Amino acid sequence: MKLPSIFRRTPFRLTLLFLALFAASASALLAYIYVATASEARRRADSDVRQEVSQLESIYRAQGPDGLNQALVDRTLRGGEFLFLLSDKDGKPITGNISESPIVGFTGRETWEDFRLSQTDDEGKVERRPARGVEKPLGTGERLFVGVDIGDAEQHLGRITQALWGAGALVVLLGLGGGVLISRGVERAMGNLNQVVAAVRDGDLHARAPVRGARDEFDELALNLNAMLDRLEASVAAIRHAGDAVAHDLRSPLTRMRTKLEVALIDAESGKADAVQALETALSEADGLLKTFNTVLAIARLEAAGQAPNQTVFDAADLAADLAELYEYSAEEHGIDFQAEIQKQLPMMGAREFVAQALANLIDNALKYTPEGGAVMLRARRKASGEVEFSITDTGPGVPEEDRQRVVQRFVRLENSRSEPGSGLGLSLVAAVAHAHGGRLELDEGPGVVDGKGPGLRVALVFPPA
Amino acid sequence: MRVLIVEDDLEAAAAMQRGLNEAGLETTHAPDGAEGLIEAQKGGYDVYVVDRMMPRLDGVSMVETLRREGDQTPVLFLSALGEVEDRVVGLKAGADDYLVKPYAFAELIARVEALARRRETGSVQTVLKVGDLEMDLIGRTVHRAGTEIDLQPREFQLLEFLMRHAGQSVTRTMLLEKVWEYHFDPQTNVIDVHISRLRSKVDKGFDKAMLQTVRGAGYRLEG
Repeated sequence: MKLPSIFRRTPFRLTLLFLALFAASASALLAYIYVATASEARRRADSDVRQEVSQLESIYRAQGPDGLNQALVDRTLRGGEFLFLLSDKDGKPITGNISESPIVGFTGRETWEDFRLSQTDDEGKVERRPARGVEKPLGTGERLFVGVDIGDAEQHLGRITQALWGAGALVVLLGLGGGVLISRGVERAMGNLNQVVAAVRDGDLHARAPVRGARDEFDELALNLNAMLDRLEASVAAIRHAGDAVAHDLRSPLTRMRTKLEVALIDAESGKADAVQALETALSEADGLLKTFNTVLAIARLEAAGQAPNQTVFDAADLAADLAELYEYSAEEHGIDFQAEIQKQLPMMGAREFVAQALANLIDNALKYTPEGGAVMLRARRKASGEVEFSITDTGPGVPEEDRQRVVQRFVRLENSRSEPGSGLGLSLVAAVAHAHGGRLELDEGPGVVDGKGPGLRVALVFPPA
Repeated sequence: MRVLIVEDDLEAAAAMQRGLNEAGLETTHAPDGAEGLIEAQKGGYDVYVVDRMMPRLDGVSMVETLRREGDQTPVLFLSALGEVEDRVVGLKAGADDYLVKPYAFAELIARVEALARRRETGSVQTVLKVGDLEMDLIGRTVHRAGTEIDLQPREFQLLEFLMRHAGQSVTRTMLLEKVWEYHFDPQTNVIDVHISRLRSKVDKGFDKAMLQTVRGAGYRLEG
């Protein structure tokens, strides 16, 4: 996919913004340093000059013009940083180390001035250096000029400024380069994430974002994105599986019903069977099919959701007692000794309706497969682990160990049970209910072979503690 | 008895009307919730049979609107959704009963009649009487022609429900839902066994069998 131009990418824009801010504040800082240093240099020059002037003035006051003249000659000979010029009242130079006063149009009052000093160095190159000085009238009308060369300070300042500009340029360059690099890195991370999102948008749920191992927010985003996709993919797969399962599971009962209807039609046409009776049979077949459909749908939904809906805390003891009461007479009718052993107070968390149905399926099964004269025992208890266990033990033929896994699957019916009515979905639903509660379904051998009966089956439905 | 059928599936509505007419009920059909609401607001109905999912105005919204307006006519919700939460939503909206599609006519008719009848006996009763059968709801005793009948608590509840719907067919599913409060379909006919126990207590030794089996539908208590 096409990425936006570098100038439109966030990290690069941020870099530019940062650089602009940096340049502005660096310029301000530079200006401040410049002004501060320049005024400091000038202040020092002024103070030096003033000190020198006051020294010369005191000489003048003490020794008169000749004394001052002598002092100036001495100073000139001795060398030094100062420039001197003593002029008479008409401005004609008397003594000094410069030929004329740089101050033009002296008004007779103390005058400060910046000026340029032309100097010829050893190689004959003329250098103009900045200088500053003051011209002051003396008591008898002479004028004294004292100045100082501030070229060194100015040069120093210039070098600093230059260095700072250079550093600034370097920072901007490095900043831009860094910005591009950071932008690339971020863009790569974002690009990866964007690619994944685009792939998912186009229907590829397998796409996953690479985790770079940097443990930064991009990795975190990638991990979260991947977790979200895992979950989404699982849900979609579960839904697809549920749909497939429903379609698959209904094909054979539908086919069977169609065949029966066709046979009934032929029989009715040939007068072998009564049409009304054929319709009644067809109707009850359809009812059976709908029941199957509802069960398949319930199983598929439980499996797809992974969790039973509308869970509440209820007393499993109450539920077990209720169901025992519901089935008590049916068991008697079947000639089966039905007993219930229920511990008191068994709070559990679950969808009561589904748990009731699962338990009813188990009791139904036990009554269906236990021959007359047998016994069925319903127990509800809290295990040492805190789990709530419902168990139904019968004295029927049981389920051979090798078939126990299989009978839980949908539509699996063992050879010897085919004659009994049923869809082969009862245990599948029970297992689905158990899983949807984080519980399990256990199949074991019953009490064993007694008087030619048995070995029986013990089915336990175990739910985690509330 | 007048029944308003609000159902967008015209074929299903026509079949439903036939079934209910056959049972002696007068029916009117509205093809969606909005029309149903207008029809219901005209008044004069004993029961509304409302499909949950319809264009323009769905069943839940329609019933909520009627209940807000103070219309207390019993409502039977029809729905293709059989999940527990769907039933809870329907009942919360103000429906009185909930029937999952597809259903047998016998089931529909029994439920519509039960709802319509419930309306007639609105006052609180302490004694129920059907023929020579008498139930004292406070003393929790049952007598038939002066002879006390000893009943288990669940048998008492079962008989109470039958007496409240005396003369009407009640289906096994209705009994399982209203007396035992289970909303699933047990494989074996547990209800039949309970009825036959109750029958042996109520009818044994009397000439007239009150607790009758209605073929293809369920049971009926006749006075």
